[in-house]
Formats: sequence, structure tokens, C-alpha cells
Amino acid sequence: MKLSLGPSSEQLDACVTCGLCLPHCPTFRITGDEIASPRGRLTAMGAVADGRVEADDTYAGILSYCLQCRACEAACPSLVPFGQMMEGARARLAERRPTTSGRIRRLLVGRLLNMKWLLALLTSGVALIQRLGVMRLLPRRMRLARGLRRQRVFPHSAVGVHDLSPAVPAGTVALLAGCVMDQWFPDVHDATRGVLQIAGYQVDSPETQRCCGALAAHEGAAGNAAAMAARNVAAFDGYDYIVSDAAGCSAHLKDYAHWADGGESVAARTRDITEFVAELIEEGRLPRISRNRGDVAVHDPCHLRHAQRIIDAPRAIVRAAGYNPVDIDPDALCCGAAGLYMVYEPDTAEELGRRKVEQITAAGPKTVVSANPGCEIQLRAHLGRGFKVLHPIELYWQAIDR
Amino acid sequence: MTLVEQLRSTLGSERVHSHPLELLIYNKDAGATSGEVAAAVLPETTQEVAACVRIARDHGMPIVARGAGTGLAGGAVPEDPALLIVLTRMNRIWEVDDHARTAWVGAGVFNLDLSRATDHLGLHYAPDPSSQAACTIGGNVATNAGGPHCLAEGTTVAHILGLEMVTAEGDVLILGGKAPDPPGLDLRAVVVGSEGTLGIVTKVLVKLTENPPAVRTLLLTFDSIEAAAAAVSDTIAAGIVPAALEMMDQPMVIAVENFIKGGLPVDAVAVLLAELVGLESGVTAEAEIVERISREAGATSVKVAADEAERALLWKARKNAFGAVAQAAPDYYLHDTVVPRTKLAEVISQVYAIGERYGIKMLNVFHAGDGNLHPLVAYDSREPGMSERVRTAAEEMVRVSVAAGGSLTGEHGVGLEKRDLMGLVFEPVDLDAQARLRDAFDGVGLLNPGKVLPRGARCYDYGLNVLPGETAS
Repeated sequence: MKLSLGPSSEQLDACVTCGLCLPHCPTFRITGDEIASPRGRLTAMGAVADGRVEADDTYAGILSYCLQCRACEAACPSLVPFGQMMEGARARLAERRPTTSGRIRRLLVGRLLNMKWLLALLTSGVALIQRLGVMRLLPRRMRLARGLRRQRVFPHSAVGVHDLSPAVPAGTVALLAGCVMDQWFPDVHDATRGVLQIAGYQVDSPETQRCCGALAAHEGAAGNAAAMAARNVAAFDGYDYIVSDAAGCSAHLKDYAHWADGGESVAARTRDITEFVAELIEEGRLPRISRNRGDVAVHDPCHLRHAQRIIDAPRAIVRAAGYNPVDIDPDALCCGAAGLYMVYEPDTAEELGRRKVEQITAAGPKTVVSANPGCEIQLRAHLGRGFKVLHPIELYWQAIDR
Repeated sequence: MTLVEQLRSTLGSERVHSHPLELLIYNKDAGATSGEVAAAVLPETTQEVAACVRIARDHGMPIVARGAGTGLAGGAVPEDPALLIVLTRMNRIWEVDDHARTAWVGAGVFNLDLSRATDHLGLHYAPDPSSQAACTIGGNVATNAGGPHCLAEGTTVAHILGLEMVTAEGDVLILGGKAPDPPGLDLRAVVVGSEGTLGIVTKVLVKLTENPPAVRTLLLTFDSIEAAAAAVSDTIAAGIVPAALEMMDQPMVIAVENFIKGGLPVDAVAVLLAELVGLESGVTAEAEIVERISREAGATSVKVAADEAERALLWKARKNAFGAVAQAAPDYYLHDTVVPRTKLAEVISQVYAIGERYGIKMLNVFHAGDGNLHPLVAYDSREPGMSERVRTAAEEMVRVSVAAGGSLTGEHGVGLEKRDLMGLVFEPVDLDAQARLRDAFDGVGLLNPGKVLPRGARCYDYGLNVLPGETAS
């Protein structure tokens, strides 16, 4: 498929520069600088597209400072598809002006994330570091490893696990195993599988699937992202639903239409686990626990709330698990994780993490749910001891599985 | 040292922009005009602002102050190269006095953030421009901003008690204060609405308003603009001043509905949004009267927001209206004129006729209660001759508003956009008085030159010579 990546002139024209996106942009909130705002970034893309300025280091810096949280997109009354435009702009820049650090980043998310043995090796390494207690020896950019769950020395994968029961399923579900999700969050997959099976679904995790390609798309590795999308279109063929328990991945699967032939079909069948389960609870096909077990803070991952506009579902799940959901941030500003961002923009990531922790602390609960792995890592790294961070589906699974 | 070097040594290089792309990003606001920026700086303290002013002055470089850049009249767009002083980093809320109901806030505080920060005290900052989530208090002061709720509460000037301002010389003044009637000349009211031509406001002492005990928000539909306009003037003639009374026409409602997907009445020709606030019993009684008057005027349906969520949705629809226009065309030109309420229907039909005559697409959204029209022209500036056509049509719309006994601008300010139309509402002697006032603050024309007053606003430019105490013939 010939990729038609943005930003197209129609997309650029869609911005009337009203500025209503500004307060929703985390980097504008921190800096107060138009350069670090969605409107400023769109102006920059437009100026480069029509040749008024060169795509130089300043331009590259303006693009890479964006978290791609897409909060601006949800706030835009003119419906500017900002996320797609930023992905396209980064891909074009990668072609025109490849830099060493960019190449490394694209190699990492475009290729290495798909090498299961390498990820497994890394996971084992993390498990050893955790057991030896030498986390503080890591360089600053790697400190996010503090936010990882305790890893298994011999990690297991969900890929290739097929479901033999029940005889007449309510429907067939392909579970996107994901890259780091598969290695670092096996308990979330177990909960997802467990809950969907109770509701009568057959849950498979097809062998031929790949990483969804979201990180590759965000970093401008468009070729890799397209290749992964094509593989997944084939791998998920024939399933009623494709479910992901990582908000960043479900958001990207829903964007597949412009990444691969047949992508529309994947997009139409994709459900984030939170929306899927919230609907099953609503329909009475999954139980509600009517007990008050206390307060749980709900963190809204950007790619759940802003990219997919899913707001109520995680709260409904928390409620069905017998807890009281507590909001922490009316604007749902990014926590600073943003995929690789926390590695290459540690200052901004840390400031956003600090602000989010302040909000969580002010809200009160010691348990926080987050439906995206990056956010969970970031929150745990910043919250430190005394807090529990988990996926809402785990909270629900633990509540009903006893 | 060059200007930029000197600014860098004062603020550090991160907060001084001089790269062509960075300057291009800063060369326009939310309106249609763009300008030229020599350098953009982001000071954090009043002292830093003063230092920047002195540096620019030494280099003979004009200065333009900017907030979040949500202005629509080009007030923060430098016509000729200037130093842009961006005040968004001065976003601290310094002091909230919940007994006196006042707050000292930085010029860069977002309007809505202030109301949010004082909500737990049962207080809010009343003026609420549609861009209130994104616009700054400093920018509100510069333009004497209005908003839906200014119908009952008055515009920005009624909510500013004091100002801290850096003068064209780089000195720091405090104007006004907590006293209800400060002694001496009231320079505070002079500065509000002066669009950065008299000084750079760095801190603002605002009046906070009590959150109303009860709120009722009504959505009324009509099958003609005239009927909706009649409902507006009849309501106010009946002695009811709603907290807000807003109108949108059908194309506008359709565009907004595409964004918020809230089930707005897209079939209605005109929609009125009316909000009543006060004690529960009064609000209930007033809502009944508004409903009766509207039905008599031809309202086809009346819906009351059932809860806070529904009310929030209706306001989201109204406040995002102007941004939704890109669904119609890539550029917009948002007008801002005022007409007497009784002439509302008449002027609106003239405005529609002008739009038709020039073949331009138009959406309408306005503060009907105070007769503040906002015809929104959606166009594509790449179409040959289009921008000129839009401008000519705009000028005609202003002329019909003024001819009906109205005014040039309701709340967006004069800026660049309306500057050359000032002669429509002011006699040379009036403009001269304003020019003299400006000279008293800034004799060399350093601050936001070329804004508000048309070039040649001084009497000698008109061949008049008016001395203090005399009147022009």
C-alpha cells in the first residue's frame, strides 16, 4: 500500500489558529511558549511544507518536543487530525534529514521491539537488576526502570496461546499481545483473558502477530509501522473482535486505515479492553460487585481519553469492581510517559510526572488505575512506595475472581 | 551588543527566540492578519519585563506585548518588526483574598484557571470570553474583553481594581488598589482596553464574584432569526436581564454539533441560549417569563438543561463555535460590532444581505443580549481576490452597524483590524484627545505602535489645532 502520510494541505488548512488547543497542551502548559504548542507546531509544519523555512534543527526540535498525547485533537473544534499530521511530519523529516539519534530511536521502535528474544533478554536483565537492588546505578534516562513491575527472570509470552473452550463462544477475540506489554505485563493479559472468558468469549493470541507499530509511527519510522500493520491485518483476519489492553495500542489499531490495506476492517473490529468490558458490565453479561471497598484514583491515559475519547469506561469498571472511582485531573494532561519521550526528554517528562503525582496525592487514594503500560511505569517511578498502580481490568479481575 | 545578544544575557537563551521559524510562529494571533517579529521573549518577572523594555528602548525597537495569542483584531501582531514580549510565563496567582473577594494575579494567568482556582471558595472571575480556557487575564485587560456573562456583570473594566504596569521608560507603576474609589486620577480605567499602547500590564488585581446559588440554562429554538431577535429584545424590555443571552444561526449550530456531538437542534434556523442566575425562586420565576415571552415571539421549542453536565455541554457548544468554522473553510474573519438591541433583527438581515451580495459563506454567533454581533465569514484566502472581498464586506457590515446607532467593536478591541475605521465613530477631536493621552504615557511611540488609533490621529494631521480648553470647530 502506498502510504499517504500527512500533513496534507487540506489537513493544514483545517487549523484556523483559534488557539483553543493551547491550554490542553502539556508542553505549552509548562513553557507558556507558542513554539511548544499545537498551533505553533502546525504553523511550523505548514511553513516547511510550503518552503517558507527549511526543515532544520529548530524544526526537528519543535517536532520532537511534542508528546503526541493528542489532547489538542480532542479540544479542536475544527477537528484537525493532529496526531496523524505529527506522525507524517516526523516520517518526512526522518527521510529528509536523518540524524544518528533519530536512527537509533527508529531502529529501536521499528525493529528491535519486534525481536522477542531480545526483549526477553532485556526483561531477564531487568529482573536481575531488580533482585540485586542496583537500580540506582542506572543512568538518569533509564531510571524509568524503577517504575517497572517486578519481572520474571524467565519471562513468558502470551503470543500463540489459543483458547479451546467454550464450545459455542459468544464471539471470537484476538488479543493483541504487544511488545513490552507481552513481556512486562503478563498479569494484565491474564486478567483480560480471564474476564473475557467469563463473558463467554474465545480469546486467542495469534502467533503471526507483531507489535502494533504505534511507537514506530510516533517516531517517524513509517516503513516499519506499515509493515507491522500489514502483518497484523493478516494475523487478525477472521476474528470478531481485536482487543488490546494497552490504550496506546488500541488507539493505533483504530488508526490502521491509513497504515495498511485492510486496515479499516481491523480499525472497525478493535476495542480497547476498557470499553469492551464496560459494555459487557452494562449489558449484565459480567457481574457488578456491590460493596464499597474504598477509593481508587483513575488516571486517564492520553491515548484512551484524547485519542479514543473513552472516559467513562475505566470508571464504570472500577465501580463494578466495588470501588469508588476518584478523578485526579479535569484536563487529563499527559503524565509525561509518552512512549520513548520519557527517555529522550527526561526533564519535561519528569516535570509532568511530578505534577501528576501532586494531583494523585491531593486526590487521596493509594491505589491508582491506568489502562496504558507507559503511564503505569511513569506513575510508579514517580509515586514511589506506598502506592499501588495497576490496570483497571486487573482490579476488576481480582475483585470477581475470588 | 545586538538586541538579541543583550536580551539573551538578561533572560538566558532559552527564553529568547530569534530563529526565523520561531519568529514566524509568533507573527500572528487568532485573527486573520500576520506581521513581523524581530525577537520574542518570555520574561517571568516584572523586573525582567522592565529590563526588556529598557533594552528595546536603547535599540529603538518597538515593543508589542502578547498573551496567549487568542486575540482576533491583531492587537498583538506587530505591523513592523518589533520585540514581542510574551507574558504567558507570568502565570502565578499571587494572592486570593476571599473576604475582600479580590485576587492579585499574573498577566499570563488563563482566565478559566482563575475561576477554577477560586471555585472552592465559592467565587469566580465573571468576564468569560469564548476563548476563556485559552486567553490570559492580561489580554482581557488589553482588549477590555467581554463574554456571554458580561450582559449582567459588565465587561472586564468593571472587574479590574488595580494594575501593575511597566511603562515605556521601564518604570513600574501600581494603578488603583483594593479601595473602592482610589484617590487621584483613575488611570486604571484608562489602561483597561488600551491594547498595550500605554504600558505593559504585568499583574492585575481583579474583583471576584460569588458563584450564583441557582442557575437555569435554557435552549430555545426558532424558525427565523427575526423571531429569535424579537425574543431577545422583548425579554429585556420586560425587565429581565439574563446572566447571558446568546444566539447562533443554523450553519453555526451544525458546525459545532459536528464537534461536540451533543444532540444540538440542527434543524432550527436560530437557537437562543439563555442563562438565569440568582436565588432559586427568582430563577424559576424568570425562566417561566423568558419561556412565555419566547413562545409569544415564536419559539418552536424550549428546553431546560437538566443538570450541570447538560449545561456544560451547551456552553461548550457556544464557546467552541468560532473555532469550529474551519469545517466550512480554511480561513475565517470574525467580526465584532455592536448594535442597539431593538435594531438586532434589522441589522442581522442587512448583514446576511451583504454576505449574499459578496458571495461569501457566513455563520453567525453572537451575544444577542447586548447586541454584540459576531458574523463569522468563512473563506479561502488562496482564492484570488477573496481576502479583499471579505474585507470590503466586513467594512460594510461595520458601516451598517454604526449607521444603526451601534459601534465598531464590542469586545475584541480595535487592534489593526478596526484601526482605519475609527473615523466612523470618532470626530478628529475625539481621536486627538486619545492620541494626546497616549503621548502622555509613551511620547516616542515605543509601545504597540500603529494600533488602535489611525495614523494621523493627532489634530495637526487634520490641519486642526486644538489647544487644551478649546473645542474643535
